[in-house]
Parts: sequence; C-alpha cells; structure tokens
Amino acid sequence: MKHAEALVSVRNASKRFGATQALEDVSVDFEVGRVHGLVGENGAGKSTLCKIVLGVHAPDGGSIRLEGSPLRLSSPAEGAALGLVGVAQELSLLPAMSVVDNVVLGTEEHWGPFVSERANRRRVETLIDEHGLEVPLDARAGSLSVADQQKVEILRALGRRSRLVVLDEPTARLASHEAAELLGTVRRLVERGVAVVYISHFLNEVLSVADTVTVMRDGRIVRTGPARLESHASLVEGMTGRHIGEVFPPKPPAPADDAPVVLRVDGLSATGAEFSDVSLQIRAGEILGLAGLVGAGRSEVAHAVYGSLAVASGSVEVCGHRLSGSVDDALANGVSLIPESRRDQGLMARRPVRDNTTLPYLRRFAGRLGIRAGREQEAASEACDDVGVRAESMLTPVAALSGGNQQKVLFARAVLGEPKLLIADEPTRGVDVGSKRAIYEALNRMARSGCAVLLVSSELEEVIGTCHRALVMRRGRIVAEHEGGDMTEASLLAAAFGPGDGTAEGRSQEPEAAAGEPR
Amino acid sequence: MMAQVLPAARRYGIAVVTVALFVLLAATTDGFLSQANFRNILDQQSALLIAASFATITMIAGGFDISAASVFVVAPLFALQVENATGNAGLALVVGVAVGLVVGAANGLVVTALKVNSFIATLATSFMVFGAGFLISDRSVLRASTDAYPAIARTRWWGITTGAWIAAGVVAVAWILLSRTRFGRQVYAVGGNAEAARLAGVHVARVKTIAFALAGTAAGLAGVVSSSRTLSALPSDDFSFVFGVIAAVVVGGTSIAGGEGAVWRTIAGAFFIALMINGFNLHQVDPIWQRVIQGAVILAAVSIDSWTQRRPT
Ligand SMILES: Nc1ncnc2c1ncn2[C@@H]1O[C@H](COP(=O)(O)OP(=O)(O)OP(=O)(O)O)[C@@H](O)[C@H]1O
Ligand SMILES: [Mg+2]
Repeated sequence: MKHAEALVSVRNASKRFGATQALEDVSVDFEVGRVHGLVGENGAGKSTLCKIVLGVHAPDGGSIRLEGSPLRLSSPAEGAALGLVGVAQELSLLPAMSVVDNVVLGTEEHWGPFVSERANRRRVETLIDEHGLEVPLDARAGSLSVADQQKVEILRALGRRSRLVVLDEPTARLASHEAAELLGTVRRLVERGVAVVYISHFLNEVLSVADTVTVMRDGRIVRTGPARLESHASLVEGMTGRHIGEVFPPKPPAPADDAPVVLRVDGLSATGAEFSDVSLQIRAGEILGLAGLVGAGRSEVAHAVYGSLAVASGSVEVCGHRLSGSVDDALANGVSLIPESRRDQGLMARRPVRDNTTLPYLRRFAGRLGIRAGREQEAASEACDDVGVRAESMLTPVAALSGGNQQKVLFARAVLGEPKLLIADEPTRGVDVGSKRAIYEALNRMARSGCAVLLVSSELEEVIGTCHRALVMRRGRIVAEHEGGDMTEASLLAAAFGPGDGTAEGRSQEPEAAAGEPR
Repeated sequence: MMAQVLPAARRYGIAVVTVALFVLLAATTDGFLSQANFRNILDQQSALLIAASFATITMIAGGFDISAASVFVVAPLFALQVENATGNAGLALVVGVAVGLVVGAANGLVVTALKVNSFIATLATSFMVFGAGFLISDRSVLRASTDAYPAIARTRWWGITTGAWIAAGVVAVAWILLSRTRFGRQVYAVGGNAEAARLAGVHVARVKTIAFALAGTAAGLAGVVSSSRTLSALPSDDFSFVFGVIAAVVVGGTSIAGGEGAVWRTIAGAFFIALMINGFNLHQVDPIWQRVIQGAVILAAVSIDSWTQRRPT
C-alpha cells in the first residue's frame, strides 16, 4: 500500500466533559483516498474525536492540522466551508422541508437572490443516481421513515464539495441491502480522493470497507493499523481489553406448549395502508422476532399493539384482557415499548438520566410529599446498572451520554417497568458489541421470568441469535413464520423480499457479500 | 479549571449575579439596607412573583402565555364589582381567582384542542379579556368599599404584609409542584419532547391545559393582591405586566423553547430586575434612562445564557 498523504492530522488531542475524560492524548491521521474505520465501545470517544475535527467541540489540548497547516475551527459551519463534513449519529433534518431542500440546504443553486428550484432538483437527482440512494424527492423529510431520513443526511454530506466525510454509524438505521449500497458509495467516494472516517459497531462492515482501522478505548487510541491485519475477534479484544465469546448468550428455553399466551393480536389493520390483517401470539417466556425490510410495517404494528397508533379493526389482548388502544391502558396492563428513534420518540435530551428512566412509572414512587427522591434514584440506578448504562451520575442529562448509552437508558426504562410484554423496536441500534450482549442477557432474563418479548429488528443475525420464533413482514402483511432451526438468513431474507420480486435473489445475496455481516 | 467552573456558573449564574448586585447596592447605596426598603421591594414584587412562578411552569411545558396581563387587569375588576355589590371580600377574592382559572383553562383548551400556537391564542384571548374588563367596569375606576378587601394584601404578620406572605406561599407551591411531583416531571417531559412523553404514557394535552389553567389562576390572584394593595382597579389594555413576568422568567434562565427551567430561577430573575430598579430609584436615575438600561440588561442576560449554552465546549 503506497503511503497516502494525511489530510487531517490530530496530535495529542484531549477533551474533557465535566468529570469525563472523553479523549486523552489522541493522535491520528485521516488520509486522502482512504477509508479510516473507527471502532470502540460506547463512550470510547469516537464521536467526540470526529466532533473536534469538524469544529463541533474545541479540543482542550493538542493540535489539529489540515494539510499541514494548523486548524482552529470555532463552528461546524467553518469546518463545512473547508470541506470537512459529517453525518451525525443523531439525525438533524428540517422535518417540514422537502428532501431536495434538505439536501441542498446552505448550498442552494441560485440566480441572484432567487433560489433555482430546477437546478437544485437536478443536482439532487444526479446525486441519487450516482450513489444509488433512492428517496422520494418531494416528500417532507419529517414524513420519511428513519432509514430514508438517514439517506437524506448522507446525500446532504455527499452533495457538499467535501474533502473529509465523517460517517458516524451511518448504517445503524439502514436495511441490509441499503447498507451494502452505502458501502459501495463509500468506496466510490474515496476513489475520488475524499478522506472518509467510518464509525460503526458492525465490525465486519468496518473490516470490509476500511483501509485503516483505529481502535479506541476509554478516550485513548489502542492502535491504528491496516484493516487487513485485523479480524472481528482482534477488534473486539482491542475495544474491550478482554475476550468476549459469543455475541449472543444462550437462549432461554422455549416456552412450553401450555405456557399462557401473553399477547394475542387478532386481525389488526391500520387506518392507512401501513399494515393489514396482522395476527400473532406470544407466550410467556417467548421471544418473538418481527423481521422484514425497513418500511414493511413492523414499527407500525408495534405502535398499534402499544396503543400509540390508532387501528381500523382488530383486537389486542394482553393476558386475556382486551386493550382499549391507549398508551395508558397498555402501560397499566404491563406493556412496555422501546421506540425506534431514541431522539424523536424516546428521550428528553436535556433531562437527567433518572427522569428519563422513571417517567412512565412515577406513580410507584409517589409519597405524601411528591416523588420520593431516594427511592426513585435507587430504582433508576438499579435499572441502569442492569443494562450497563455508563453515566457520570443519575442526574447527568442524557444528551451528555454517548449514543449507545442513550439507547441503553431506554432499555433501562423498560426493565424498570417489569413488563409482561416488552416491545423492543431495534433495541440495540448503535450499541457496542459488549453492551449488546448485556442487552441480550437482560432480554433473556426478562423472558426467563415470564415476560413475552416482541423484538422488531432489521439485523437478521439478531433475530436468529435471540428469538425462539420469527415472523416476517412484507408490505404490511405477515408473510412467513420460521421457528428454531428454520430461521436462517436465507429463509428470512427470501420472505422479506418475497417471490416474484426480480431483484430479490440478487439483492439478498449482496449483504453478505458486501457487508460481510448479515444484519 | 474552566471546565469545572463553567458548568456551575452556567447553572447558578443568575443566583450569583443577583447576590452580587445585592452586595454592590448594599456597599454603595444609602438607604438600600433598610427594613423599609426591603419591605417595599417585597410588596412591589408580590404580584409579579405570584404570576411568574406559574408562568414558569407554562413556559417549561412549551407554552408561551401572554394573557397574564389581561387577567391581572380584569380579575380585580370582577372582584371589586362583587365586593361593591355584596360587601363580601372573601367572595370577591374567590371570584377574581376564578376569572383567572376560567381564562387559563380556556387558553389551555384552545391551544391543545384546536392546536393554535399558544402565543397567538393567548394574544387573542387577551384582547377579549381586556374588552370584558371595560364592559364589567363601565370604563371607570373601581374602588374597594369595605376594609376587608384591602386587608387581603395589607395586613401585617410579623412585620410582613399578607400580600408578600401569599406570594411566598404561591412560590412554594409552584416550586414543589414542579420539582417534586409527577405533574412537574410530566411538564418537563412535555416541553422537552412531546412525542417521547406521549409514548411514555403522559397525557400531553392534559398536562398543557392544566399548566395554562394554573398560570391563569395565579395571574388572577396576582391581580386581586395588587388591587387590594392599591385599593382600586382600573380597566385598561396594558400588556406591561406580562412583559415583567416574562422578563423575570427568561432572565432567570428558563428556556423559551421549553423543557428546561426552574421556579427558583424565576425568583432570582425577578429579584435581579427588582434590585436593579430599586438601585436606580435610590440613585435617582432618570426613569427614561432606567428603561433603556433595563432593556439592555435583559438582552445581556439572555445573550449570556444562550452564549454559554451554545458555544463549543
Ligand atoms: N456534550 C457532552 N457533554 C458531556 N459529556 C459528553 C458529551 N459528549 C460526550 N460526552 C461523554 O464523552 C464520552 C465519549 O463520548 P462519545 O460520544 O465520543 O462516545 P462514542 O465512542 O461515540 O460512543 P457510541 O458508540 O455510544 O456513540 C462519553 O463518556 C460521553 O458520556
Ligand atoms: Mg458516538
């Protein structure tokens, strides 16, 4: 490999937030025409490292150079003007504006003071063609699925004349074939001389796309080296400092045939076309996977069961009690939901971890003089410990937690609820390998204690590794059911794409080939 | 060093600044450190504190309520009509507060059920309420006809007027409500992320409506206390009261965007402004210049707040 020149060099950078040393003496080069993979546990400092390069945070110490000359950014806008752009881990689109407007935002084609709609449109169309990221141009960004929103974010970054593109967990929200396409896009980008920083918890993805990999732990760099010298196991060991066996703990025993049915859904249909005639049952202690492509209607079913989405017909019964279709009633009957988007549907970013964890269950801590602070604190920190939330204290605002730890706060909330039925919509999105295991173990513990679990997941490996049984949805209907050994990536994917879909076969192979990691 | 000091300064900045101003005035200003002066400040602030402590809650819930001025003006007109007619000051108090409750609840329902922006909705109701004030008072000043009505706010207990005691009580209730109860948590949740709150089982519309209703009630009480102190009430369409309320809330550091803030902040903000005005008066600064400086200080306070929140850390 010939020596590539460094576009951005970080030297001895450090960054502290309160008592957290997020970065300590970090030195790294991001090179022209190379994909630089960045891996590490939640809170290792990956996002922070990129944020100091992009001008979101100023480093406390150390220096950054752009092509050899010192770089001191005071805002992300300054970074963007120099061609340093990022796709943040959390989405930041303007929901009321169209896809085109979002993509060209700040770089609109114009004629004097007038925005040229047509030129903008053409530019976005070209971008989409070039990179194969299909999104409806005129849709309002807020009305798109999370996956499509992610694509718009990526298009926005690609549309700038960027020299360094930071992708912070870009595929966490994408379906497997979309992820594969994105990896292709990344390769095309670097061929054009762009430097790419690629952060992901999908280690196989990093191994297949990156030229260079940097492993981080506790704010420090463990090592930087060529990706071809690393393996899944070596990365995990570098990240965690220990050897982790399997990602998936052994499944709890499958429920007996006479185990009581906890959830019975009968002929559920949405008011729109999101899903129709969905029927399913989950027994106590059973983990049921709901697989399918993004947009197949899985999240909508989850919301309908939880009562947060109105339905046209059908019924939901929990432990023989028919739910009235309100969130209140669901909570009162022991149903918990971990929603798909932690930022939009899950967390109050500026409120403390404690408040975010206990919000639905405050009644439990009611005393004569309001909430019993001591008890609440105790319960919250117990639940957070249970799923391995790493936070300075229970009073830290969740916004100050790393992405994966924010996700774990939502899980802690569900654990606190001691539900009879847990609906988890992509619960391990953005969570590192070690903590994933902690979450799976928490899931298993809940199942062992008799909780029924509905797991909506786009990661096939996760469905296969944790569920007793899986249903596959396609275009709003349940099209297949697989159990035990019948659950294979091939069988689930085939059902998700459906027969007669000409592209299905070709595509279904692609993720494994390109991403290496079935998702 | 900075890393430790800055968050603390950010969190308690307004309290620190208020105390600093107090010390400065105590050191430099004759007549500031006197019981009479403090009593005076307390009396003058009581109505504002009553309204502002609950306005804080509305603002944290993500609402922007400017109807407090109209309620403040009109509730005592209703109260005094009742007092003049029946001679019953207790009943007058209840009626005045009830007017606030009705207006506040109506605001809440319009905002949540009709989904009208709360600034616009409360601007509209303000005009209606101001109008009702002219109607009920027949466009004239109303005066208290009994000794009991002035006694509501002017009676002294341990040297402090009942008006100030009422303010202290209302502030305490708002404080506890917001920081220690389920309702308070739900207020923060609704203002911070309404969709997340809904999915966590919070009745978003109910919480907002209650917040508006409470703010209206508090504004009604503030109006009665103020008229009891001044012995009369005058119909007008003067919005200045609510600007004082919002200034106190915002200077205290409660976020206009909702989701963040605290009652203690509003108290600090109110006293900061009150001390500043008191200092001007004692130094006999021209009232016209007072306004200019006051505006500049509010702008500075809010800018510093947003600067510390936004600058890269
Ligand atoms: N704005 C902030 N204020 C306070 N602490 C912060 C802030 N941003 C990050 N941190 C802390 O710095 C550490 C590093 O966070 P960072 O977001 O860089 O982790 P990460 O490696 O990207 O993790 P993840 O994989 O979960 O996204 C964490 O302990 C986090 O809590
Ligand atoms: Mg991160």
